[in-house]
Amino acid sequence: MKMKRRWGMAIDLDLCTGCGDCALACAQENNMPVFEDDSDLPKRVQFLDLMKVSNDRDAAYPDVEVCYIPKMCQQCEGNDPKNPKPPCVSVCPVVATDVGDDGIVSQIWSRCIGCRYCQASCPYEARAFNWWKPRYEGDFKKSLNPDVSVASRGTVVKCQFCSHIWKRERDRAVAGGELDINAVTYTPACVAACPTRAMVFGDLDDPGSELSRLLSREKKRTFRLIHTIDEMKEKDEKKWKAMMQAKNYPNPKVYYLTSKAWIKEMMKFK
Amino acid sequence: MKKIDRKDFLKIGGGAIVGGLSGYVFSGAPFLGMQWLIEWTQDQYVPAGGKEEYLKTICEACREKCEMSIRMIGDRAVKIETSNSGCPFSQNALQLLYHPERIDAPLKRVGRKGTVKFSAFEKVSWDEALGAVSKNMNKLIGEKRGHLIAGISKHDNLASALLDRLVKACGSTAAYYEPSLNSLSQAALGGSVEYDFNNADCILSFGARLLEGWGVPCSMNKAFIEWKKKGTRLIQADAVRTRTASLADQWLPIKPGTELILAMGIANRLSKRGRAAGGAEWMAVVEKYAPDKVAALTGLSVKQIEEVAETFSRARNPVAVAGRGGKGVSSSSAEFLAVHALNTMAGSQAAVLKKGQWLGEPVLSANAAASIKESKKLAGLDDFIKNGNFEIIIINEADPVYKSAYGAELAEKMDRAFVVSITPLLNDTAMYADYMFPSLTFLENDTSAGRAPLKPYLKSAHAGDCLISLAQKVDGVKASFPWASYVDLIKTSGASVGAGGVNYNARVLIDQLALIEKNLKPSDEFPLSMIPVELTFVGDGDGMAFPYALKTIDQKTFSQGKLCVEINRKTAGQHGVSEGERIDIASSWGEIGSVRTHLTDTVAPDTIAIPLGFGHMAYTKYAKNKGVNPKGIMAHDIDPLTGTANWWHTRVKIS
Repeated sequence: MKMKRRWGMAIDLDLCTGCGDCALACAQENNMPVFEDDSDLPKRVQFLDLMKVSNDRDAAYPDVEVCYIPKMCQQCEGNDPKNPKPPCVSVCPVVATDVGDDGIVSQIWSRCIGCRYCQASCPYEARAFNWWKPRYEGDFKKSLNPDVSVASRGTVVKCQFCSHIWKRERDRAVAGGELDINAVTYTPACVAACPTRAMVFGDLDDPGSELSRLLSREKKRTFRLIHTIDEMKEKDEKKWKAMMQAKNYPNPKVYYLTSKAWIKEMMKFK
Repeated sequence: MKKIDRKDFLKIGGGAIVGGLSGYVFSGAPFLGMQWLIEWTQDQYVPAGGKEEYLKTICEACREKCEMSIRMIGDRAVKIETSNSGCPFSQNALQLLYHPERIDAPLKRVGRKGTVKFSAFEKVSWDEALGAVSKNMNKLIGEKRGHLIAGISKHDNLASALLDRLVKACGSTAAYYEPSLNSLSQAALGGSVEYDFNNADCILSFGARLLEGWGVPCSMNKAFIEWKKKGTRLIQADAVRTRTASLADQWLPIKPGTELILAMGIANRLSKRGRAAGGAEWMAVVEKYAPDKVAALTGLSVKQIEEVAETFSRARNPVAVAGRGGKGVSSSSAEFLAVHALNTMAGSQAAVLKKGQWLGEPVLSANAAASIKESKKLAGLDDFIKNGNFEIIIINEADPVYKSAYGAELAEKMDRAFVVSITPLLNDTAMYADYMFPSLTFLENDTSAGRAPLKPYLKSAHAGDCLISLAQKVDGVKASFPWASYVDLIKTSGASVGAGGVNYNARVLIDQLALIEKNLKPSDEFPLSMIPVELTFVGDGDGMAFPYALKTIDQKTFSQGKLCVEINRKTAGQHGVSEGERIDIASSWGEIGSVRTHLTDTVAPDTIAIPLGFGHMAYTKYAKNKGVNPKGIMAHDIDPLTGTANWWHTRVKIS
């Protein structure tokens, strides 16, 4: 597949204050369903989960620290970026979830039959299932975004890097006379809302993008939620290659940055 | 017995099938099944389309005046975007604007007080509601009992200044504010402190959770980026490893409630370098707090205290920050004074005392002048709830029944009084209201810069307009309210000016230090300390009405209707408490039950950290009856200068 874009994201945890703006902006932009009690986490429908983590299992007072990790769909691409194969796409029996030439793993709510295979195959629990019919009581309906369809009961939903905003921006560019629509860039709702600019979004294939520059500058602080394999590269390259080739190697396009060793350690698959 | 032949068998079988089928049809099951099928397959709500446009406006909620852009689809606002969105106020604005439980017309009570149901109210016109309220006020003023009219405001803004003026023009001095960073520092220091965080190079925070909702969140987030760029040193003193403490360059893990003692210890070190502030009497108290004494009381080492004092004094432009907490702030007046004294001692340019210049004094009628002599000015809100008296009370956006440690007492007094509440949502205080006036979100407010981007929702009006209209109907008050509308008033209001010198009251300091030292002594009855923690979007309870904010709550704080308190692992072991266990917490002011434990070493030993903002009695179905509100069992000691309870640190026991 000829990739037009390879959208990715970096989240600097040293700058994240855990304010939750990203989660709120995401909910507003993507028409999150409203329930009376959203405190039941396994049944909560949201794309961006603001995880509070602490090293208090390994450290005692006063050497403990806390950190917030915004976790959304990691936009996996499998072991071949030119032919992306995220773990969730191959298991969908109705092609409700697919990956496009912009590298975004998308999902069409209305095509989903609710088998939840994709949810089971996702290594990051990034997908949510609508156990109930989303209700938008009273005037809440008025604040719904027409660019994102409202999911019905029994469907799986997920973060799509707000790809509808890219579409919107491209439509706008076309109306403005722009011919190369793929040159158009955009910012997802969570990134636009981040008050400390801890989140950076951009094209991983474009060496000039803010994201690529940040990642090449901050190699030491960077990790992904797959770094048990990433770290193998330096230790045992042969084993690393074998692990890369393994079926369902996720290879996510979301990068995290931190200067704290305990956060990297905690987020490893053990 | 007759033998069943083939024909009978078929008849019975046929009858059973026909009966079963008709029963099935008449039970409604097939129709319900069909309905479910339709819902499952067809029922996809499609949001209405329309012309897309972006409305530009300025958020005037604080002095940052952030530029905002509202995405409109037809006449619907669907998203708020801003270059500076670290403010929960703007992110939640759309949820408040279109809240299903938003009050859409003035309401009059027809049912019993203290009930949450909307059936206890009926809708009335603005004229009728304003007429009924003014009639009651006129009666009191006519009887020269205007001093029994009171007002409580939430924010220190122009609308609140209007309420202050209205109350005063009626002949009363009983205009109070909910405790906030601004109101507490004004009471303690005589002005609010304007911090120049961008240009400070060393920030010493005494429990102020600077990045978790403290002060103006959007400017704090901006400042945080600057600190990272410039390498500004942040030193945080707190008994809980909060996010601010984790992001700080240095964390001082002090014992709960000892921030003031730490400030004295640092002042003591600065005084050895020839720095002074607050006068001889004040400095005499400072002299008593040598590092070894401070180390023993705060749990820090002498070296740590000396190093911090050294860093602070060597910095080019250091700033010490008082006001423990995030949205819910509680610090003693002595602490505000002692921390401000540190700024004076270090010659900080980054903390300037400012005083708002609002509306000046109103003209008093003869009756008002007579009754104002009867009016006793108390130090602050909790002092007023405890010792004051009122027959009519006007609540401007505030929720003291929920937020004050004396909330239950206030509710009891409100039960007997005539209560008017100006609020967009039915909160815990409005449960006791006789009349409710629906107010606006900032999206519907006209500003000095121009018209509001959105039309007012149904029959709502700005709190300022509501108070101006009310004043027109109250005897002898009209002359003090010459403005046609709130917008008219904005254009004429003044800016803030520098406040005068600070009165460093050594007596208050000595008393407060004695109280802290008394509280620090281990007691057999109440062996543990309890301090509050907050979630940024829940704050002191304001965020609980917004469903999207509820989605940000982590499971270790509140899960499936159960509130969790954080307890130090070792302390839990000593008290025989395990993870997820149900406990009751009791202090000398009361008891709360049904909270779960979360064992974590982010909390100091012998300490419980309890989340604020939960346990509303009202405030929409999203907030109602979720968790518990700890304010009722928190410390009730009223500060002599701020007149509010210093609820931060409470001695408790668990069972």
